[in-house]
Amino acid sequence: MLWQQLANGISIGSVYALISLGLTMVYGILRILHVAHAGIYALGAYVGLFSFKLMGNFWLSLIVGMAGASVAGYFVERFLYTPLLHLPRIAPLIVSIGLFTAMEEAFRIVAGPHTLAYNARVGLGDLSIGGFHLTETQILILLVTMAILIFLWAFLTKTRTGLAMRACAQDPETTSSFGVNVNAIIAVNFLIGSAMAGAAGVLIGVYDNQVWPTMGSIPAYKALAIVVLGGLGNIPGTVLASLIVGLAETFFIGFLAFPFPRDAVAFVAMILVLMFKPYGLLGKA
Amino acid sequence: MISGYLITILITVIIYAMLAHSLNIITGHAGQISLGHAAFFGIGAYTSAMLYTEAGFPFWISVPLAAVVAGMVGALLAIPCLRVRDDFLAITTMGINFVVEAIFLYIPFFGGAMGIGGINLPKWFGREMTKPEYFILILIVFFLLLLLDRQMGRSWIGLAWASIREDDQASEAMGVDVIRFKVLAFILGSAIAGLAGGFYAHFLTFIMPQNFGFGQSIVVLCMVVFGGIGTRWGPIVGAVILGILPEISRPIMEYRILIYGVLLLAMMRFQPGGLLGPESILPKTFRRYVYLLSSSE
Amino acid sequence: MALLEVTALSKEFDGLRALDEVSLTSEEGEILGIIGPNGAGKTTLFNLISGIYPSSGGEISFRGKSILNLKPHQISRLGIGRTFQIVRPFQNLDVETNVLVAFGHRFYPSFWKSIEPFRQPEILKEVKTLVEKTGLLPYTKQVAKNLPLGFKKRLEIARALALRPRLLLLDEPSAGLRFEESAQLMDLIRQVRDQGIGVLLIEHNMHVVMDLCQRIVVLDHGSKIAEGSPEGIRSNSLVIQAYLGKET
Repeated sequence: MLWQQLANGISIGSVYALISLGLTMVYGILRILHVAHAGIYALGAYVGLFSFKLMGNFWLSLIVGMAGASVAGYFVERFLYTPLLHLPRIAPLIVSIGLFTAMEEAFRIVAGPHTLAYNARVGLGDLSIGGFHLTETQILILLVTMAILIFLWAFLTKTRTGLAMRACAQDPETTSSFGVNVNAIIAVNFLIGSAMAGAAGVLIGVYDNQVWPTMGSIPAYKALAIVVLGGLGNIPGTVLASLIVGLAETFFIGFLAFPFPRDAVAFVAMILVLMFKPYGLLGKA
Repeated sequence: MISGYLITILITVIIYAMLAHSLNIITGHAGQISLGHAAFFGIGAYTSAMLYTEAGFPFWISVPLAAVVAGMVGALLAIPCLRVRDDFLAITTMGINFVVEAIFLYIPFFGGAMGIGGINLPKWFGREMTKPEYFILILIVFFLLLLLDRQMGRSWIGLAWASIREDDQASEAMGVDVIRFKVLAFILGSAIAGLAGGFYAHFLTFIMPQNFGFGQSIVVLCMVVFGGIGTRWGPIVGAVILGILPEISRPIMEYRILIYGVLLLAMMRFQPGGLLGPESILPKTFRRYVYLLSSSE
Repeated sequence: MALLEVTALSKEFDGLRALDEVSLTSEEGEILGIIGPNGAGKTTLFNLISGIYPSSGGEISFRGKSILNLKPHQISRLGIGRTFQIVRPFQNLDVETNVLVAFGHRFYPSFWKSIEPFRQPEILKEVKTLVEKTGLLPYTKQVAKNLPLGFKKRLEIARALALRPRLLLLDEPSAGLRFEESAQLMDLIRQVRDQGIGVLLIEHNMHVVMDLCQRIVVLDHGSKIAEGSPEGIRSNSLVIQAYLGKET
């Protein structure tokens, strides 16, 4: 029973990590709260779903979903955020909120208000060991997120671009004086972060077998809470926070006596941590 | 005779104008981003509704009390809000909105998902007010609020607010107790939102938690941004235009939310100052005319 | 009793010691120069005195009372005014209104006083006197952001003077000014000093420093390395080394 909960918590937590990492990376480099990131997440699900309907292959739909999300994220950065960097930060934030609102409505208008099914199958089958049961989709989630996170870690620590990205997040001015093209780094940042969100959208869409226009609403604020909890801009912190929230949701809801809205767990955790560590678990002033 | 439909629109517009005006006090004067303003709207509405339906308080007491309660909650929340940096503030205000909505939704005392019904228009002279009479009433209250705003603008408080808005660090170095004045703006802004909530509850006759969630906060924010944050008349103009347009045009009503989103997006991207702001596309002479009507400093 | 007494004041940022046990005193009617190479900690010192940063150790007392860790608006009201290195007037307000903001320090603390209208004849008269004294009279109704730099600097001083300070902290007032503007500003500062107000002056322009200051304190890398008269400082080898860089 405990192992089951653990597995559930970790799979949910790792998807949260996929979504939240993009958010924290954008904050780290531009200091903007990219609320529309949740819209990119939902876009990934829709694009993935439609390409699945066209091609019938889960993996292809995953890649197309990630690509679609990635490109969308790039356009958002180029045309909406970067031109506004000289304004007080409330400006890009409001733009982001407006964009997110518009995106959800656009999904509703274009794809219809109803929930659509995303029943991709890979032929792996479920895994059962004793009382411990992993569905095929859970296995997929664990595999895909693990792969992506390992890629991200390798990219950030082993490649020059990755190093430049981390440097930019610390201090863009000094980094650019070293000859690094900061604009290109920002673009890469968005491309990668949005691709991960797109992947998360596809994975959740398949896991729940549901894609609907407002599927980004809850992740919108949950990812924010997670990112704040872990420390705005802090990548390891975000991963840690995502896992904590995933596990907390699973365990609390499993064992708690009174009905507590599951989605509030993230916020409660955030508030609790902020009381003792005002910059998040791993964040710094 | 004025049609009932028109009166309904007018009443709704005035209530939104009050809401937008109250948000402007917080964002324009205190310079604080508030993405959860509908929470105070809801606190006012629910307070008034419950005082009326559960405790039998008449409208004339329940609505002012709604403003007081909303103001007190605003004061309580102001302290943590002001401690917290810009970005955290945005999330905090969103969080407050969610928490308040969740309280109304999940705690049975507040009626749950079904909300509260049976809230009537006020009684006077032994009978219930008619809608046109209600409209006159809130119109008068609204004018009083504008008068209050004008008076505050001419006072030292208004001056302090103006300086905080320009540069809060420099303001503090000039002897302004910035925190105190920001809290004051918070209290005033949330109290007026609560007042609007009370008027709303008695007009709609039933209220539900969904009326006061993040979506509603976005609508109000949109009105303020569209009209011009921090300008005196901007939010009101924004509320009037955005309040009336969906009513007179069916397609606009259909795509209302999409339009709000795009409007927020486009305004901030191209005209951050809003319609009545400094770099607006509106012809300068028109804006100067409106400015002259409203200027006092 | 000195007007301002700074004793062993320190400030640490994340392990970096920006100010290390700095002590100095300042008297009424005296212009004390604070000089040193970039990064020496001069503006940090001002930010500590005016309450913008909390200190990491040491003591600051003003007119005999400790002002350590008070908030900026409290310190302003006690009688310490300051200007900023990069001018920060209230951009969209006019000159008169800018000064009025600082005048309000007498009214802000009381709720009942602060709801009164601020454009009262007696107050406006006092503002006019101040504006005149700082040479800004023709610009009274000009919006601050449209003023040329020299006048923005005067506005900063006028605003600080509206606090009726006993001590004025001036952070690089002549930076960015042409020679004549600089000279005019120096005259203004001398007038302020002659009224008995103490002045702490951060400056990079050595002409200004040597001409205006009675005493000079030299900071380098957060510590005080010299103190004395302008002539003494000019020939102090430690000071010269600090500016020219250490020889290896």
